[in-house]
Amino acid sequence: MGDWVIGVDVGGTFTDFSARQLSTGRLVLHKRPSTPHDPSDAILNGLQELKKKAEIDGEDIARFAHGTTVATNALLQRKGARTGLVTTKGFRDLLEIGRQVRPAIYDLQTDAPPPLVDREHRLEVAERIGADGTVITEFTDAEIALVVRRIGELEGLESLAICLIFSFLNPAHEERLAATLRAAYPDIYVSISSEVHPEFREYERFSTTVINAFLQPEVSRYMDRLSAAIGQAAPNAALGIFQSAGGLMSIEQAARFPVRTALSGPAAGAVGAAAAAELSGIENIITLDIGGTSTDVALIQNGSVGTSNLRDIAGFRIRLPTVDIHTVGAGGGSIAHLGADGLLKVGPMSAGAVPGPACYARGGDKPTVSDANVVLGRLPSRLADGFRIDADLARTAIEQISAPLDVSREKAAHGIVSVAASNMARAIRAVSIEKGQDPRDYTLMCFGGAGGLHAADVADILAMRRILVPRAPGILCAEGLIVADLQENYVTTCRCPLEEANLPQIAAAINKLATQAEEWLSVSDDYIVNRCQTIILDLRYIGQNYELQVDLGTARHAPDLPTVEALKQAFFRQHETAYGHYNPDAGVEVVNVRIRATMEFAKQTLTAARPDGKAEPVATEQIWFEQTGFVPSPVYQREQLAEGTSLFGPALITQFDTTTLVPPGWTIRVDGAMNMIMERNND
Amino acid sequence: MTEAVSLDPITIEISWNSLRSVADECFLTLMRSAFSTNIKERHDHSTAIADSKGRLIVQAENALPIHLASMSGLIGFILEQYSDSLAPGDIFIANDPHVAGGSHLPDINMAMPIFDGERLLGFVANIVHHADVGGASVGSMSGGLNEIYKEGLRIPILRLFRSGEVQGDIMRFMLLNMRLPDERLGDLNAQIAAVKLGVKRIGEMVARHGAGHLVALCDEIVSRTNQRMRKAIAGIPDGDYSFTDAMDDDGLGTQDVRIALTVHKTGEKVVFDFTGTSAQVPGNFNMTLNTTKSAVCYALKALLDPEVPNNQGIFDAIEIKAEQGAFVNCAHPAGVAMRANSCQRVVDVVLGAFATALPDRVIGAANGANTSAVFAGTDPRTGGSYVYLETLGGGMGARATKDGKDGVQVHITNTANLPVEAIELEYPLRVEEYALVNDSGGAGKYRGGMGIRRSIRPVDHLCEFNGVGERFRNRPWGIFGGQPGKTGQFYLLQDDGSVRNLPSKIAGVFVTDETMVVIETPGAGGYGDPSERAPEAISEDLRSGKFTENFAAKHYRRAERT
Repeated sequence: MGDWVIGVDVGGTFTDFSARQLSTGRLVLHKRPSTPHDPSDAILNGLQELKKKAEIDGEDIARFAHGTTVATNALLQRKGARTGLVTTKGFRDLLEIGRQVRPAIYDLQTDAPPPLVDREHRLEVAERIGADGTVITEFTDAEIALVVRRIGELEGLESLAICLIFSFLNPAHEERLAATLRAAYPDIYVSISSEVHPEFREYERFSTTVINAFLQPEVSRYMDRLSAAIGQAAPNAALGIFQSAGGLMSIEQAARFPVRTALSGPAAGAVGAAAAAELSGIENIITLDIGGTSTDVALIQNGSVGTSNLRDIAGFRIRLPTVDIHTVGAGGGSIAHLGADGLLKVGPMSAGAVPGPACYARGGDKPTVSDANVVLGRLPSRLADGFRIDADLARTAIEQISAPLDVSREKAAHGIVSVAASNMARAIRAVSIEKGQDPRDYTLMCFGGAGGLHAADVADILAMRRILVPRAPGILCAEGLIVADLQENYVTTCRCPLEEANLPQIAAAINKLATQAEEWLSVSDDYIVNRCQTIILDLRYIGQNYELQVDLGTARHAPDLPTVEALKQAFFRQHETAYGHYNPDAGVEVVNVRIRATMEFAKQTLTAARPDGKAEPVATEQIWFEQTGFVPSPVYQREQLAEGTSLFGPALITQFDTTTLVPPGWTIRVDGAMNMIMERNND
Repeated sequence: MTEAVSLDPITIEISWNSLRSVADECFLTLMRSAFSTNIKERHDHSTAIADSKGRLIVQAENALPIHLASMSGLIGFILEQYSDSLAPGDIFIANDPHVAGGSHLPDINMAMPIFDGERLLGFVANIVHHADVGGASVGSMSGGLNEIYKEGLRIPILRLFRSGEVQGDIMRFMLLNMRLPDERLGDLNAQIAAVKLGVKRIGEMVARHGAGHLVALCDEIVSRTNQRMRKAIAGIPDGDYSFTDAMDDDGLGTQDVRIALTVHKTGEKVVFDFTGTSAQVPGNFNMTLNTTKSAVCYALKALLDPEVPNNQGIFDAIEIKAEQGAFVNCAHPAGVAMRANSCQRVVDVVLGAFATALPDRVIGAANGANTSAVFAGTDPRTGGSYVYLETLGGGMGARATKDGKDGVQVHITNTANLPVEAIELEYPLRVEEYALVNDSGGAGKYRGGMGIRRSIRPVDHLCEFNGVGERFRNRPWGIFGGQPGKTGQFYLLQDDGSVRNLPSKIAGVFVTDETMVVIETPGAGGYGDPSERAPEAISEDLRSGKFTENFAAKHYRRAERT
């Protein structure tokens, strides 16, 4: 039995690898350029390189966990299958009308994207299920035969979504139609709404199902290629695909429900962040993942990443549990410019990877956040990964801002990083206030290529006192993958008032899900140390349109249903936390029942390289600060900082793919987990 | 007095960001702590910060266009009536459109002054659309009422908190006059919490940067926005531009309510002159001047610079002329509850007026309505009574480079629909169709957007239908040769196929299981001569089934079709 676990995160620029040996805790990191035409190329080649570098025998790889952007990119670029839709008579425009809202109130020219299925590929069938799940209009064999024929007449269809009204209450019509269509057209992928997302609210269910259908051919083919490739390179490895809700699912599930991978990558980052912070004993963190064009922010409370059930990606609505991440259009490549009001703005336009910031010397000439960092001396002239920075080009670019404002280049550059930080701070404030949290009670955890450069600026604006810089900030997603549990989410709608008489109905719904969960949980794997189910009820006040998820606890087998009174009290507590009040006299109803089944792997303490001795600066850089101007500041290499090392700002700490700025007034120390904790000095 | 502070373009941007954050934080706090679905789900509320002169400085990012002018209206009245006795901890409340700056009674405004010691620095304010403020009918939004007294409780500017102490008598008096007083109190408490939080946050900013910084910042925000707007206005060719449209009726017998506008544009100055507009009407579609101002500012911003921040700088860039007592500047005791429909029409008129001046930016007339439908009755499953209210979108006008959007909320409104499955689970109703209306977008080089049809049948009971629609007679016009879109309609469809048409404002229609209530919202106008429509676009209209062969044959010459 092998004892290596490998995590692979495919990003837009790099494919990151993180390998851990379970028996020794040994950890090996690797990185290689991504291959967007077929991401499995980079995975396979990187895997061979990694095996060689760490002397891993392919046979010894027990698990292979993968975070993928195939689905995300297909959605963003609208490059998916030619998809058809079959729906209930009267509702073929529903996908197009959506919730009848427009994306930008004042903008007469911006529309929501056109639906993924053209109108002529949306067919209606005479059938109807009612609000109580009974059949109102029979779905006749003749009607089914008719729609089968009409689908045959549509050219080049690769996949189909079947979305009928109230199918989540009674899937019989959807299932009959799916079976007939699959038999008639074995080459067409079929997604049905009562399987993809068996919850009420037809637009969200239809949209989620259509996205699934749209992604399915491409993602399935990708999973097949990947499976074959890994099968050769690591014949004993169990393959897990990271899902947007957190946790791994099987490659078969991913091929069947590709929509569940739409946020695979960022979700892995948040889970990795939570795991890294836990090693330092920190449970409440706000993540700040600064990339080239955008920054992702997530709130982690008591060690767990929040999920939300509704998400728009590229204007398409997905209603599935998704790790709750907020994105702002500000990153290292964001372009600074003077707005129509004469004020300094940063983003949302970005120089991207090509041409990139001016300092990359790849033809970019617009002033970006990275150029500002170069002018301020915050980025060393040669990055740790060997990438060269052209400071002259950065200075020239920044003059586009400093000249019209009639200030020094440094003042302009400082303005750019300050405005960028204030945009990020605004996003963090929104994310925490929406959840009723004060950012000052949290630790800011920065990662991504540029996180360490801006963390202190952002923390200053928000009056946050502590920052955590993880051991490997550039590769946190891949780390999230190797610590991830296996997870599967089940849901069914069970709408009834929360009353004694309805407990049997609710218990029956839970049992139905628990049976599915038990089956899934019964697989054997030596490294699984814990198997459990968490029961969640979506409850709301009768007449309200928003639900709260009330967690009924976690156990090996689905626990018995508490009393009505206990459930109500739990709902009231949740309402109080979320909204600051509750009404003990108003009626409560159940909307959905959910089970989250989890299989946890044994957690290992890792033994990364642990340097000792006193840290010596490798260089001195002139860094510009607002109060002092340029100050000679020591530059340290992260790999040389031993546990317990304490450094006072100003200082710069460089490592493989990240630079961390310690400004004056801040102290940074390396803790037992080899994370760096940066704290503001008491004034 | 503190000495004058001067701020650079970097500091202004960062501090402005902080101020926006405060308005957003108030918005989210209000949303989180409110009781009613209208706020939690539909977000029918706004928050803002004003300066000591009552000028609007920032609005929350998700604040609503129709609330734009109402907030500063309120603060203007507070300064007029209470400036001698303003104290820290005071909170003011009001809703009246005629004496307190409001736009209709369900929108309750609240404002709290910000002090630095003795010195008044500004106000934090918010607006919440309350689900009921009393009056003749549930929801305080019924049509067919001929004076404001029937529309709900009128609240002048009252000092609800005096130096931090709530005035319980005022609160009790208000709640007694509203249905669902517990929910009202919950929402009012959320409003109170939000203004208090905003004042605290501004206090923290002042402690950090000083009062002079805030005062200078407010001046900069208003003057820079004003300059930005004036510069955009200067880009419009000088001239007088006129346009006229008419609303179908006021629901109480007044037909073809005329909205006439001439825009006088010279240099950086623009005057919106509504001379020639009908007098205020008995039905409650009237607009106060502040409501008209909100609609005009929305339209101008959408035309010139959608990104321009909402503040006094926009108001200061325009002038509105409308006679007191006119439909767009109504006087006491005019009823105003349905003013959202009228706002939509004023926006259409402003866009129509600018057609020749800004041909690339204007769009054809949109559905021009805030179509609403109410179904009520007794649920046979529970024996309890129910009321289901919904507002429906329709067509959006065609644009200079593309077709209008189909089936969407337009201009001053952007509220979501209720899912079909939610309606049927909640109420004894069956939705048999939710679709786009064929042939409803006006033909043109670019066609207008399509209206929406919703067909609803009661299940096992007698159900009452009330509806308010517009553009049932006055079609949404096209521009530059674009054809008008289809009108809206309400009708009853019997199982035997017979049809009974209903008027655009209708109450008390009772129907049973054999009858389907069909609501069709208007489409929108086209842009440009239909003969210039690309053959591929015509083919697409036909292939998608959105338009019939008959429509194409009538509007597009056969020779141009592929």
